[in-house]
Parts: sequence; C-alpha cells; structure tokens
Amino acid sequence: MRREEFLDRIRAEAAHAQGLVPATPATRPAEAGAEAAAVRERSRRETESLLARFRTEAERVGVSVRRAAGIAEAGEIVLELAAAREVRRVATWGRRALGLGSAVAARLRQAGIEVAEASPDEIAEGDRTALCRRLAEADLGLTGADLAIAETGTLVLASGAGRGRGVSLLPPYHVALFGRDQLVASLAEAGVVLEGWEAARPPGMGANVVFVTGPSRTADIELTLTRGVHGPREVHAVFVDSL
Amino acid sequence: MPSAAILATCLVDVFYPEVGVATVRLLRRHGVRVAVPDGQTCCGLPLFNSGYHGEAARVARRVLGLFADTEHVIVPSGSCAWMVKAEYPNLFRDDPASAAAARALSARTYELSQFLAQVIQPGAIRPVQPPDVAGSQRVAYHDSCHLLRGLDEAEAPRRLLRHAGVELVELPGADECCGFGGSFSLRLPDVSGAILRRKIENIRASGASTVTACDAGCLMQIAGGLRRAGDRVRVSHLAELLAERLDDGRR
Amino acid sequence: MGGADASSLNTRAQGALGDRLLQEALTTATTQFMSARRTALAEFPQSDRYREEARRIKEATLQRLDHYLGLLADNVERAGGVVHWARDAAEAREIILALARERGVRLVVKSKSMATEEIQLNEALAAAGIEAVETDLGEYIIQLAHERPSHIIAPAIHKTKGQVAELFSAETNAPVPAEPEALTRVARRELREKFLRADMGISGVNFAIAETGTLVLVTNEGNGRLVTTLPRVHVALMGIDKVIPSPTDLMVFLQVLPRAATGQKLSVYTNLVRGPRRPGEADGPDELHLVVLDNGRTAQLAGPLREALYCLRCGACLNVCPVYRQIGGHAYGHTYPGPIGILLTAMLEGTGAVRELAHASSLCGACHEVCPVKIDIPRMLIALRVALDRERLAPASERLAFRALARILESPRAFRILGRLGRALGRALGAWPSPIQRWTAHRELPAVARRSFTERWAELRREEEEA
Repeated sequence: MRREEFLDRIRAEAAHAQGLVPATPATRPAEAGAEAAAVRERSRRETESLLARFRTEAERVGVSVRRAAGIAEAGEIVLELAAAREVRRVATWGRRALGLGSAVAARLRQAGIEVAEASPDEIAEGDRTALCRRLAEADLGLTGADLAIAETGTLVLASGAGRGRGVSLLPPYHVALFGRDQLVASLAEAGVVLEGWEAARPPGMGANVVFVTGPSRTADIELTLTRGVHGPREVHAVFVDSL
Repeated sequence: MPSAAILATCLVDVFYPEVGVATVRLLRRHGVRVAVPDGQTCCGLPLFNSGYHGEAARVARRVLGLFADTEHVIVPSGSCAWMVKAEYPNLFRDDPASAAAARALSARTYELSQFLAQVIQPGAIRPVQPPDVAGSQRVAYHDSCHLLRGLDEAEAPRRLLRHAGVELVELPGADECCGFGGSFSLRLPDVSGAILRRKIENIRASGASTVTACDAGCLMQIAGGLRRAGDRVRVSHLAELLAERLDDGRR
Repeated sequence: MGGADASSLNTRAQGALGDRLLQEALTTATTQFMSARRTALAEFPQSDRYREEARRIKEATLQRLDHYLGLLADNVERAGGVVHWARDAAEAREIILALARERGVRLVVKSKSMATEEIQLNEALAAAGIEAVETDLGEYIIQLAHERPSHIIAPAIHKTKGQVAELFSAETNAPVPAEPEALTRVARRELREKFLRADMGISGVNFAIAETGTLVLVTNEGNGRLVTTLPRVHVALMGIDKVIPSPTDLMVFLQVLPRAATGQKLSVYTNLVRGPRRPGEADGPDELHLVVLDNGRTAQLAGPLREALYCLRCGACLNVCPVYRQIGGHAYGHTYPGPIGILLTAMLEGTGAVRELAHASSLCGACHEVCPVKIDIPRMLIALRVALDRERLAPASERLAFRALARILESPRAFRILGRLGRALGRALGAWPSPIQRWTAHRELPAVARRSFTERWAELRREEEEA
C-alpha cells in the first residue's frame, strides 16, 4: 500500500472516534542542548554520590564496578581481570574513541595479550568481514562508555567511527572504562542527553545507541537464570578518576 | 436514627437467607432502622456480565424503583454493590432520567463492610465471646474480586473482623480469584474447578478453621469445593461471623 | 496457525489441565513473574504516576496517529532507512519475501517478534526455501520443537530442561546434559554461527520514536543486538500502535515496561537503532527496512477495543490471569494468549473469532490492576460479549436462555416460583445434562433454603415491630 493511502485510512477512521480524553505526550526539553549541558554540569558536582549509587545498582544487576585513580591503575585492574580469566585475545574500540583508555590496551599488549582494534577509527570497506570474525574470536572486549546511569546501573554506548557495536557484544567479557563526565543520575536525565544528541549530533556518531544493564541473561529454560547466552557473560565497569 | 434498605441479592434470597438475617441483626444492633423493599429479585449482574445489557437495564430499572426513597442501600455482596454503584449509571446512557436516578442511587449504596466501617463508629461494636465457639477461631479472609478491585476495598472487612476478636490468619493468594465469575463457572467448569482447587490449597495452607468473604458467589464456589474435597473448614459470610460475635443473646 | 484450532476451547482447556508438566511449569513461571513484579513495585512508589503518564502518551499518540507515523517515516528515511506500508498480513509477508528474494537471502536470523508470529512469517519464508532461525532462546527451543509460543515473554515456559536437552541433542547430533548452563552454552554456540552467516536479520519493534526515526528493541539476551548488527540487511516489523512521539516519552515507558514484564528496572539491552550503519562504522547493517503493519489495528481507532492499542506486549496480564495460569498459551488457540490476547484476537480476526474466548475470563480484574498502561480489559471483554449477542454470534440457545432468565428476574412472582421449583427438584436436577452438571462436576451444590430471605424478613419485620 502507498504511504498516503495508508495514512489517509487512519485519518478517516480516527475522525469517527468519540468521547476521547484530552491527552498530550511528555514535554520535551525546550533547549535540549543547553539542558543536556546543565545535566552534565550538575552531575560533575556530584560525582561521589552518583558513583556510589551507580555501583549499588550496577552490582544488583551483576555488573562489577572497580575504581582507579588514574589510567595506570586502570591498566593493572583490567590486566588482573584478564589474567584471572585466561584471556588471550582482546578486541578494542579505536584508539581515538578510547582516548586515554588506549593506555589500558597498551598495558595488556605489553603483558603479552593479543590486542586488536576491532573497530579502527578509520575503516576500509573490505576489512569489515575480517574484523567481524576477529571479534568473534576475542575473549574480552574493551570499550569506553558515553553515559553511566546511576538509577539503574546502566552503561550507555553510542556507536560510530572507532566505536564498533560488536566489541561490547561478541566477546564473553566486556570491560567499559568511564569517568566523571559520563555519570548521570537517572533515566530522565539520560533522556535529556539523548534529546541533546538529537538536537546536535556529535560528529562521528553512528546509527546505534545501546543501554547495557548487566550481562546478557536468560531464564527461558525452567526460569533458571543463566548468563552470557548471546552477549557477554560478564560486564566490568571501571571508573577512572582522571578520565 | 439512620435508616437503610437492604438489597438482599438473588443468591442470598435463594441459597443463603441466614446472611440476610445476619445483616438485618448487625444493622439493627448498630442503631439502624432496617427495611427490605418487597419484590426484589436480582441486581442484573449475571445479565450484564454476559453481555445482555438491554435486559440488564430492565432489571436495573426495577431496582431503581424499589429503592427510590431510601436513605442508604446496603448490599451484603461486593459484586452486586459494584454493579449498582459502578455500572447502573452506564446502563442508561439513552435514558437521562433513569441515568440520573441511577447516579443518585449509586451515591447512597454501600457494600455491607464498607457501610459498617464508614458510617458506623467501630467503637460502638461491643464484642462478646460467643458461647459455643471453642477456643479461638482462626479465620481466613478471601478478597472477592469486585469488592477488592471494583470497590477498592481490602481493609474494612479485615478491620471489622479483628475488632470483633477473631484470629485473622494470612490467606496465601487472598486476592486471587476463586474461579466463580458467575456463568464462567458453568461455561468453563473445568478451568473454574482448577482455579478453585488452587484456592482450596491456599485455604488449607493457611491453617484456618473458617474461611469468610463478603460475596455469596465466592462462598458458594468455595464451600462447594471444600465439601467435595471432604474438608470441614467452615464457610461463613462476613455478616454471619460479625453477627454471631456480637450476639447479645437475641436470636 | 493464525486461525483457531478446530476443537472447542473447553476441550483444549481440558487438555491443558490434564498436562501435569505444563501445569507445573505454568505455576512455577507465573508465580515467579508475579513475585518479581511485586518486588520491583514495592521499591517503586511512583509506579502509578508513570502508568498514568504512559497511558496518556499512548492516547495522545493515537489521537494523531497518522501525523506520528508520517513523522516516523520521514525520520527513518532521513537516517537512510526504507519504509514499507503493509495493510495486512499477506502484504507484509510479500514485502519481506520480496526484500529477501531480491537480495538472494538464504539464511535469516530473527529476534523475538509477536508481529512476525501474527503474520505467520516463518511458514512463508520456509515455503520460499529460506531458512529462518529464531534466536531468542525460548523461541529457538519451540522452533526446534515445532510448537507455538505459550507465553508472550517466556515462550518455552512449558518445556522442561529434559525436553530441551533432547531437542538440542537431536539438533547437534551429540548428547547434551539436561542442565541450563550447558544448554545455554550449546545455544550460544549454535546460534553464533547462524548470526555470522545470516544474510538478513528480522526483528520486531518495542517502540518507534517518531521525532528521531529511532527503533527501540527491549531484550535481555543480546540476540536482538546481534540480529540488528551482524547481517547486512535488517528488516524491522512493527504494528502501527508501536509509534511514540519522542525520546522523552521513551524514558516514561522504560520505567513501566521492564518492571511489568519481568520485574527488572531495565532489561539488559535497550537498543536504539536509527537507520543503517553510518559511513565509518565497523559494524551494523548496510540496509534498514521498516515494515509498518496495520492488519486490523486502524479499524479499532473509533471502536470499543481502541484502548487495547495501548498494549506494550509485556505479558503481565498473562501472569496474573487465573485462566491463563491454568491453561497456558496454546489452549487459547491464537497467536496472542491471555487476557489482552483475547482482545487482540478480536481486533485482528474479528468478533467471530472470540465466540468462546470472550468468556475465557471470570472478570476478576487482576489484568487491569497490573497493566502498565492500565488497559481496562474486563470492560472490553464485556463489550465483546455484547457484540456477540448483537451480531448473533453467540449460540441461539444461550441467547434464548438469558432472555428467559431476564424475564424471570423482572418478575418477583416468577422468581419465587423458580426458587420453589429448585427446592422441590433438589438434587434430581443434577441427574439431567444441564448447567447443573457442569457445576457438580467439581463442586457440591448449595442447598436451596427452605425459606427464602424474603420469607424470613416477614418474621424479622414483625419482630422489630413487636420489640
């Protein structure tokens, strides 16, 4: 059916509806960009309490939360995590996307672990399938995060250049590095940030945003909870003070 | 002295007249002048629930007439009270005069436990230990669906029971349907029976010696199931339990 | 199987009631879901406010549905997606099959979508020689078992781990222990291969945000992300009722949907997809196709079932329904089971399809109480019963019986006589096949009182006058 005919049918039918209660959708932020900036400002002043709340909620849904004063300490934490799980191959976001976090990747490489940028900041078309396979063989995926929502213990990851979706999805272990700039209090505040991204798209932003609230899980077999059915079976959030 | 007319309900009239008698005694004990308008049959709920709204409206119109000049209308049934209060006004969408009468009636109509809890001062009840009840009576209260969800009432019956001195025990799944649902019990009898068995398991799990509710339909279903299972748990309407505990010797 | 099973509802119900494994599974599962939901709500005192708001947003959207769908389409296209409009199930199947054929698609991976069940897509793909694999663990299990989902959220609720192990062992030609961890690992391995090889991913849509052209998928396993990330083509099928205005509205729904469905604050993955992958992205589909489906929904906008269009497909009403808890999903005989399923069946297949189902309810109201958008399901079930009488779809004998009952209830004299008759015949009534026998199959009959309350009142009234 054509769009116009489809929508005309709806208009025609809706015209017959009677006794409707007046209703309006939720009020969007008037100045999304400014309000999102204000959310970030407020959050930066409440780092300790937000982080504490984030930790409580994240742990409730099975995310382990660690804190590092600086990137060097973060490197040791992730190395320890990887070693304990006999990780051989690590896949990461692109260097630019990881920012200071790429020093963690370097530390892992230094310790003899094979580390590959699964989604390089610049990518050639032909590489995509090969990258995908490489990802599927990785034991651990290392990413940053765009938001950490305290209310629910959620990490929000936006895709884009150097920020492959598969890195936080295919390997069985996912480690996300984040800092004070990512913490927000609530879903409502995350909504404001989303509206802000809508009003002014960050350059290089991809087509996907995922809210990750814990490791992959299912209870489809006799309601017994098991982890890691399709996505990672463990998620580790490492807060780095200096990031 | 407040006055009240009792809408007896069809199930009480035919199967459980003692519930009606207990209701009369209870209200009189609390200083209410009681009347029972002549010529009652049914509130029309069975017709309404099965989708026969024209027929339900005709039956309802009779009720409007019978209870036109009463101060309060008391109904010892959550579902019938709900029918009058919530649905009667909607039945007369094409008949403004009856709709207005229905709204007025709705405002004066109370389910029994709600009336006792709201209009009568609970402090006026003086519990008396019934002579022939051995030890304490462990009573489980079943929330009938229309009273709980339709009339939003869970507290009043429990408060009245506690005040009357019974030992109220927790009934697992008290807010779960008993499976009666009027004609549902006959249309899907096996499903209704299965739902009933769940309720009976819960009654047994509660350790109660008596189960009570504010709806004769639920009690008919529950009693029918307990007796079929050979169970001796007593099944009693709230009105009966309260009336016997407040008995001052008059029968 | 879009239409009903030929057997009657009562027969199917009896089958379900006699299935011990099913009964255990239903009790365990629904009890757990109910408990998880209660726990979540105990910590969420603002629940009612959010439910009201969610309901209001749904209503506001319906009131300008054509506007929001148009806006959604514009924004999906602006993001590089293609929008297709399907009037009914047949058209939706054609659209998806054409997309698959044109691209030489051999293997499809699917993530959970009731809408694809509704249009019977899998059968159509199979007939076209295309392998379509369900990747949601529960759906995968029932696909291997050649069954239909028995619950909106937990489709394989009726299967034991032993049964699942048998299915997996047969599928992999290797023995698999009947142990959930091991079974999950097998599923992960088997399905991972499919994800990597698939040419096309087909998903449903939980919410479609009009102002941004974003499709939202709410899942726990991760298969929703894989289906919309790995294959080069992503096809998303959505009913017109899934559109919402803005990301701010989404945050309201995210407060109520996961709690109602599984008692979680948020599901593990809330995935926002906005068009195919952008240049520079390492993964994501090259193409995104949104198929917008009507299939009987538009016709409800001005009708008594309008409110059923608010449904978020959370499954909460199934978990609390005394009927569903006893008979499970298959016995309903249609794609959508449970309380909301009866309304959706009437919506999608016509009033005649619910001649029996409209009565598969004791009208207890538990569904209305737990619905995250406060849909008054009992009211609409009664409206369906009214329609069944008005359109003469209810059995003639029943309609006659109720009219006869109405006459009796309008006459105190007739009522009295009926009462006396009942007393006189007493138990003898139970001997003939009659509604009485349906009662006595499971319960003792109450006794008709020797003296009705009306008769006792005559005495009580005298008593007071004398006092």
